[in-house]
Amino acid sequence: MRRFLMLVCLLALLLPARTLAEEADTVYILVDDRGKTITQYAGTPEAGDEYISHDNRHYVVRSVDEMTHTALAESLGSYAMPDVRWLQGESQAVSAGEGRAVALYCTHSDESYAPTDGKASVTPRGGIYDVAEALKANLESRGVTVYYDDSTHLPHDAGAYRRSRATAEELLKNRVDAIFDVHRDGIPDPKQYETTIDGQQASMVRLLVGRSNQNTESNKAFAAELKAVADTLYPELVRDIYIGKGTYNQDLSPHAVLLEFGTHTIDKDRAEQATRYMAETIQKTLYGGVSGAAAGDRAADTRRGAWTGVAWIVGLVLVGACGFALLSTGNLRQAAGKLGDGVREISGGLLNKKNKE
Amino acid sequence: MTFGSFVLSALAVLVLLGVGQRVLDRMHLRDRTALLLIAAMFIGGLIPDIDLGVARVNIGGALIPLGVCVYLLVTADELAERLRGLVGAILTAGVVYLLDRALPASPEAIGLDPIYACGIAGGIMGYLFGRSRRGAFICGVLGVLLADCATALVLRAQGIAQKLVLGGAGIFDTVVISGLLAVLLCELIGEALERLARAQGAPRDYARVRKPEGRR
Repeated sequence: MRRFLMLVCLLALLLPARTLAEEADTVYILVDDRGKTITQYAGTPEAGDEYISHDNRHYVVRSVDEMTHTALAESLGSYAMPDVRWLQGESQAVSAGEGRAVALYCTHSDESYAPTDGKASVTPRGGIYDVAEALKANLESRGVTVYYDDSTHLPHDAGAYRRSRATAEELLKNRVDAIFDVHRDGIPDPKQYETTIDGQQASMVRLLVGRSNQNTESNKAFAAELKAVADTLYPELVRDIYIGKGTYNQDLSPHAVLLEFGTHTIDKDRAEQATRYMAETIQKTLYGGVSGAAAGDRAADTRRGAWTGVAWIVGLVLVGACGFALLSTGNLRQAAGKLGDGVREISGGLLNKKNKE
Repeated sequence: MTFGSFVLSALAVLVLLGVGQRVLDRMHLRDRTALLLIAAMFIGGLIPDIDLGVARVNIGGALIPLGVCVYLLVTADELAERLRGLVGAILTAGVVYLLDRALPASPEAIGLDPIYACGIAGGIMGYLFGRSRRGAFICGVLGVLLADCATALVLRAQGIAQKLVLGGAGIFDTVVISGLLAVLLCELIGEALERLARAQGAPRDYARVRKPEGRR
């Protein structure tokens, strides 16, 4: 009985009580310190989440009020967006080429568009697959090889990302330049996403980056590049970037972004239309501007993000190993000895050899 | 891919290999065997999956970890240890299944990412029922595999023919991560209790009861 009670108590720590009673698509309002609405977010924001608005204002969530479903976000000023002036000079230089490949998949297989699909959630295959296929077709028409996996990952629950992890890893074996998880948002208000681009009715796209993994900075830099290119080509296309708690399988690649094509209350046709512009944005971000100073800046952004990730891993390993060694030995000298033993064993005796007496 | 991105990816793999080797090393496996097994999980993850029609099984992400579990069960000293491991694994599967259903679908709304939550559930179960690192590994690995099978069966019953993929992400799959995390958590609980026991003046043997196996 004691064991059972202990088990229940420990598992309860994993389950924030609030989450059990909440619907999956609870909508929160992000407000600034003057109470002005910044954006809506279908999900639960956490303190530390970052947000880059449509006009490139940078915010960080400081506190979340679960009663009123609002999150207070502090403005950090303008976000330093990547320099994409190369787009004007080299737009014609982008062409089809060998080894240009991206990967697409859909974690939430049931996601649909209520006005055109009938319901917001359709099993086993929702309308989101039509949007992913439209994105694939538009990318291929621009000379990009697309590895698209249309596997389903039902049910739409907390295990969906666990199941889609296999799909993402399988796609990454094709040595793709980037991987995109195609979704639609859950904000009820269609006006948040409806827009007109080049005279065509389309949806906006939200970019989502997970901040709980070693690739966060790389993926954030990549998302910022996508937005900067889209802002130049089609200023109404990319709605914003949300950098939220979670992994979203983005720990598997330093070029992974989740794309939210509109929300469930808009016509699917709008989302499909948006794939045309998004395909051009992706193609030019990945394969345009291959020379000149701007390209150097872009590479520098990616490098900076990657090295931040490296520092993140090294720091985590050091803290974990030292903490564990200290816990098990109780003093610094023995902890250092334990760490040395570990290094020796892990390297098969190559490192930290013992002196023969 | 820039040099930094390459180093980042390589480092992530190396850390996983290193942690994996240390974890397997603590379960009655020799250093070299542990290293070979973790390398086999990595390489096995790169080999195409075995297609069984209704299911796909990854060699590195499911078959080898499953083999390690079978080895640990077969070489357990007592029948009671085997039973504890199996009962713990079935209960862990139940917990993982319930966690999947009960937690919100968006990872950001959960206190812990689902990939790691399974490992922690396995670690807690392994400690409570197996009272050992070996039990924790069995609970972590089998718990996730059985929970995935249960989900597939429920979907089949609903008429949805979704292919069951076991350990599809290879060494990066939740099956492997869960097994490793479960052992680390079990070790952490054991060490913390040992320190607590020592601080309270209990004999060293007190803590050993909670960490029954050493390395052979």
